[in-house]
Amino acid sequence: MNFQLTEEQELIRKNIREFAAKYVEPIAAEIDENERHPTELFKKLAEGGWMGIPIPTQYGGSGADYLTNAIVVEEISRSCSSTGFTVSIHVGIACMLILLFGNEEQKKKYLVPLAKGEHMGAFVLTEPGAGTDVMAATTTAAKDGDFYVLNGTKTFISNGPLADTYLVFCWTDKAAGRKGMSSFIIPRGTPGLIPGEHFHKMGLRSSQTSEVVFKDCRVHKDNLLGKEGAGLTNAMTGFDHGRVGIAAQSVGILQAALDESIRYSKERVQMGNPIARHQAISWMIADMATDLEAARFLTYHAAWLKDQGKPFSKEASMAKLFAAEKAMHHTIKAVQIHGGYGYIKGAKVERLMRDAKITEIYEGTSEAQRMVISGNVLR
Amino acid sequence: MLDIIVCFKWVVDEAFIRRTSSGDLDFSSVDYKISEYDRNAIEAAVRLREECGGSVTAVTVGPPEAAKGVKDALSRGPDRAVFAEDPLFGGLDPSQTAAVLGQVISSKTPFNLIICGEGSGDVYSQQTGPRLAEFLGIPCAAYVQKLTVKEGRVTAERKVEGFIEVDSLPLPALVTVLPDIATPRIPGVKDTLMASKKAVIKVGKNELTAVPPPLLKTKSVRAARVERECEKFTAEVEDIKRFVAALQKRGVLK
Repeated sequence: MNFQLTEEQELIRKNIREFAAKYVEPIAAEIDENERHPTELFKKLAEGGWMGIPIPTQYGGSGADYLTNAIVVEEISRSCSSTGFTVSIHVGIACMLILLFGNEEQKKKYLVPLAKGEHMGAFVLTEPGAGTDVMAATTTAAKDGDFYVLNGTKTFISNGPLADTYLVFCWTDKAAGRKGMSSFIIPRGTPGLIPGEHFHKMGLRSSQTSEVVFKDCRVHKDNLLGKEGAGLTNAMTGFDHGRVGIAAQSVGILQAALDESIRYSKERVQMGNPIARHQAISWMIADMATDLEAARFLTYHAAWLKDQGKPFSKEASMAKLFAAEKAMHHTIKAVQIHGGYGYIKGAKVERLMRDAKITEIYEGTSEAQRMVISGNVLR
Repeated sequence: MLDIIVCFKWVVDEAFIRRTSSGDLDFSSVDYKISEYDRNAIEAAVRLREECGGSVTAVTVGPPEAAKGVKDALSRGPDRAVFAEDPLFGGLDPSQTAAVLGQVISSKTPFNLIICGEGSGDVYSQQTGPRLAEFLGIPCAAYVQKLTVKEGRVTAERKVEGFIEVDSLPLPALVTVLPDIATPRIPGVKDTLMASKKAVIKVGKNELTAVPPPLLKTKSVRAARVERECEKFTAEVEDIKRFVAALQKRGVLK
């Protein structure tokens, strides 16, 4: 057993930490308040190769491993959870799915600009009536010669308003059940693909979320990602990768909650002592540090399994479930430690608490993770 | 074409040093980094190469753990590194460091220009650069904030207290540079991964003539104590007068 990161992973962590402190942290509160997608920041992230870390260099990526990507998502999220997540879904799902299931031509055409960070990707699966119950989706792709015609409404699509490349999941043969869903790569600007307006959210506010509507949207069969009927399997593989990212994002939130709690509790004096010396507070911090360590190991282990080419679906769900729930639990505690000051806009812990909630919901709710995990262990 | 050597030191990241209740420093869980000043020196060297053509060789003296620092340095743009490595090289004094660097440089790396940070981020004695120039018998300008190289000479703008001095030195020469010389880049992912593929020449202690005994012995390191005073003043005229008097008394205002 070896708990040591490689020298490269350690150096990359230092570098992204410095990057986040310099470019992400100073704007995090502002982009949250204004629900702004920081285009200038993503340009810088692209320049450093941070938008395609685990994608091979021949496809525009940086050629590192998936664990490195998790470390980077964690460190960015420590400064700004929205930014960390946008990187996570772009790389972990959009880029990874094309890498894994796209043909050579699709990789050259779509993956290269995505992995270089010139384009943004979106994962288009959820519908108003189909969240955890993916099979309840109603969007269809009707075959018409060499084309498919898509109709339906997708919702809660991250990067929806601004993506250049949409990975869309819909029924090509509803009667075929689990083998009736297919996935398509559809570029922005395709007639009939209509991105919606940004939703106003409780947290993760600078991440752009919207509906994506398909109205007689004609796409060529060359845009099929993988075989017809492989959509659901592709989506589940996307989730496995994406969940490691959400786990990493949650670890970043937890680390930030701990950082803030340590700093504040050493400064804040009540009853003649810094509150860090009061057991009520120090034990909260002890629990926070312990859960952070556990969440981080679960996350890194899931990413490591992926890098070893081993199954990691169960571990990704465990990491995501644990890290997300601990992030929620401890950001509430972090606000508690800050007292009234933590309830004021501008306090970092206030943003962390709002940002944490979504990690228990998207890319599979905590309940969905428990379904995956129990399905695995009760097999 | 300019063959540049840039020297760097792998130092304790002071953010991880803890102060014990007795005032001692606890280094048990420290991490390391390239000395802040040297990061700027490396950036200056790389930019100068981009301007003039040639090569940059990063040179360091340190214990085997500094291998990570070598990779870090290479990710910042140098073409290759020379690493004088020995478990005892972690605690050299400036005269010893300069002697080791001097031997390594004269035997392994042809150069026109050597760039060092103004001092190291840990002990900041500011001696290694000038001592190295002395060892190699080349001219030296310290505290340089701007560098230009033209027709076999280096023009160095030195920032010294109260004024700026411009020196012209024949190459080969050594300069120690201030952080203002260049803002270091943050290496991208590929820069870090590519660093592992660059050449590192390792030099062991047995390849050097004897390392001289230290001229300086550090007997103890203790945390500095900053005495703080707290006195309250209001915006009333009387209090403002009192405030000014208090500042004068402590020499803050003259």
